[in-house]
Amino acid sequence: MTSRILVVDDDTALAEMIGIVLRTEGFEPVFCADGAKAVEEWRTQRPDLVLLDLMLPGMDGIEICTQIRAESGIPIIMLTARSDTADVVRGLEVGADDYMVKPFNPKELVARIRTRLRPVTAATSEVLRIGDLVVDVDAHEVRRGTMPIPLTPLEFQLLVALASKPQQVFSREMLLEQVWGYHYKADTRLVNVHVQRLRAKVELDPDLPKIVMTVRGVGYRAGSVS
Amino acid sequence: MTATSATGTTVALWRDWRGWPETIATAWRRSLRFRIISITLLLTSFAIFVTSLTMALVIQNNLFESRRDEVLSDALSAVGSGQKTLDSAEVTDDASALRALWGDVRDEIPRASSSSLIAAFAIDEPPVGTGVRGFTTGLSADLLSPGLRERVVSFPDRQAWQSVSLPMEDGSTAPGIVVGQQLIVPEVGAFEVYIAYDLADSQQTLRFVQSTLWVAGLILIAIIIAISWAVLRTVSKPIVEAAETSARLASGDLEVRLPVHGEDELATLARSFNAMADSIEAQIKELGELSLVQQRFVSDVSHELRTPLTTIRLAADMLNDQRDQFDPTTNRTAELLHTQVQRFETLLADLLEISRYDAGSVQLELEATSLTSLAEDIIEQMLPLAQGRGSELRLVAPGGYTPVDMDPRRVRRVLRNLVGNAIEHGEGRPIVVTVDSNQHAVAVGVRDFGLGMDPEDAQRVFDRFWRADPSRQRTIGGTGLGLSIALGDAKLHGGTLAVWSELAVGTNFVLTLPRQPGDLTGASPVSLEPEEVLSEVSHATQPMQLTELRELYFTDSMSNAEEDTP
Repeated sequence: MTSRILVVDDDTALAEMIGIVLRTEGFEPVFCADGAKAVEEWRTQRPDLVLLDLMLPGMDGIEICTQIRAESGIPIIMLTARSDTADVVRGLEVGADDYMVKPFNPKELVARIRTRLRPVTAATSEVLRIGDLVVDVDAHEVRRGTMPIPLTPLEFQLLVALASKPQQVFSREMLLEQVWGYHYKADTRLVNVHVQRLRAKVELDPDLPKIVMTVRGVGYRAGSVS
Repeated sequence: MTATSATGTTVALWRDWRGWPETIATAWRRSLRFRIISITLLLTSFAIFVTSLTMALVIQNNLFESRRDEVLSDALSAVGSGQKTLDSAEVTDDASALRALWGDVRDEIPRASSSSLIAAFAIDEPPVGTGVRGFTTGLSADLLSPGLRERVVSFPDRQAWQSVSLPMEDGSTAPGIVVGQQLIVPEVGAFEVYIAYDLADSQQTLRFVQSTLWVAGLILIAIIIAISWAVLRTVSKPIVEAAETSARLASGDLEVRLPVHGEDELATLARSFNAMADSIEAQIKELGELSLVQQRFVSDVSHELRTPLTTIRLAADMLNDQRDQFDPTTNRTAELLHTQVQRFETLLADLLEISRYDAGSVQLELEATSLTSLAEDIIEQMLPLAQGRGSELRLVAPGGYTPVDMDPRRVRRVLRNLVGNAIEHGEGRPIVVTVDSNQHAVAVGVRDFGLGMDPEDAQRVFDRFWRADPSRQRTIGGTGLGLSIALGDAKLHGGTLAVWSELAVGTNFVLTLPRQPGDLTGASPVSLEPEEVLSEVSHATQPMQLTELRELYFTDSMSNAEEDTP
């Protein structure tokens, strides 16, 4: 089965070129050049992943990302011409899973897409416990008691990574490699922002985290099972 | 406690009189008010003193003169009435009648005079038996000077007077005047008659007038000082205000203005000041807007250029991946396109970074980072490139392990750049990366033993697009902006990036970052002049590599012995 990818970019030449690259790699690209129609297009096409340019006519990428995130945990990769802090962090904060700074090369693009489409895998397919949560890897479900907590695939993957090795402290670099597939030092803001988003969903009090614990100066680890 | 210490301070201040001239000189120099008040005080005091003195003297004179005239006429009338008594008497040779007449005169003169201090002396020896003799009542002959008596004797028709000190009953003396004139006693001869007048009353009046004058003078001085103080206050307060406002303006508070009251000179000053401040504020705002425009422009250029560049990059990479299917010419073309697009991309990124520095829109993202582990990472990253050039990368790290706040992305970029340069110009010889720290700073040095540069050239390495040897080919693909950006990064951290280089000896770059921003004092932990430090440091940490390195360095120098001595 080929994965369908929605490319939201107002630059038709770039969109077409991305389409060529994606088709070569066996994906099925669909396009949208107008920001105002992007969310609608996403609803009708039901793609497996969205490549989203941040600067668009009609509606900007941040707003589109917010709207899609409100309905779905679908992987979103931002395309940005600016590596400026504010834009990237804003995009991550509204739920984009990853970002790519233009200009990027085709291999990098394909690698990022494949990582996001990869099914979540854990060392064991058992039910994992972290804090007062139950993580059912096979069923893709996180529960507190009987209440399921909806997570995006990325957040789920982040939680599984921590829960599958409860004794280990994960540095941001390790998480970047394991969850985002970066094999070199990348932007640790990715980890920081997504840990914040994950905490907002799973912690009872995000200011006093019990599930995703911070280890000062090192990184994060799973909270002890209670 | 406070009160005691305050008193103590005051006492100390008063005791410390040696410091006064200094204090006064300082006040004179610093305070316009103090200076003007001092001058006013001095001049008015002098003027009032002179005026008062003159007035006192004039009043004294007038008082004395009027009293003297009064005394003279009094004496004249007293003696005159005595003379009249004498003249009108029917004088015979009758001695007893004469004696009685003289007795009348003796009673008459004090009665007609306002003073009872009277003395009379016979000028010629009176005939014996007349019983008419000189007398004194309360006036001693000792008080009369010979000069006065002589004048009285010589000029029968005139009065003569003299100032004297009259002894009082309580033993003190009072100023007085003695008036003398002749009295002719028929049948007997001329007598000198002296009447002394007490001037104590006048003296008292004079004293009163004088003390009133002095008191008035002092009050006048006080009033003048108070007035000048008040006037000065109204003038100097706006000046002080203007000074404070200017200081605030200078320190960046562009909103401050002076209050304008009325239409006098001070109002003019305030108005011109405000006009100046308006103009400065407007210009700074304009500059700020220009800078914003510049930043936006940079950002727009970034976006506009990067999107088509991404397309080109994707296309070039696609072509490059499939180039084996092309004929040799197209194959090479695709390869060239691919590498040059990459070069263009780095150049664009560097240009944008530089223009961000120019616009001042760069911000640090500080994170506690160990410089040593960062250097290890970079060495690991650059290892393939170094091996390709036959250079060995070595790390010497006696310090720099504890994390220090820095922007790791930027420091990484600087180090990558320095190590890359070292590999490019290192001629395949080892490259030593030294990390160390001290109380104030952490530093990393990147040293190669390659071509080196003239010291003059070394001064220019941070210039944009500068090349030590323009004919030399760029192989690693630097843009010519790397060191400018590296210097910008160092400065942004409040640190320094310094270079030492010598032809055929090698080059050493030292990046020094302060532990606390703005606290870069003393020498860098890593010395810029590399030799001694290298030997010391290497002895301590990696003696094996040191000997290798030294041998290498010396043999290398030996082989170039003609032109260079170590």
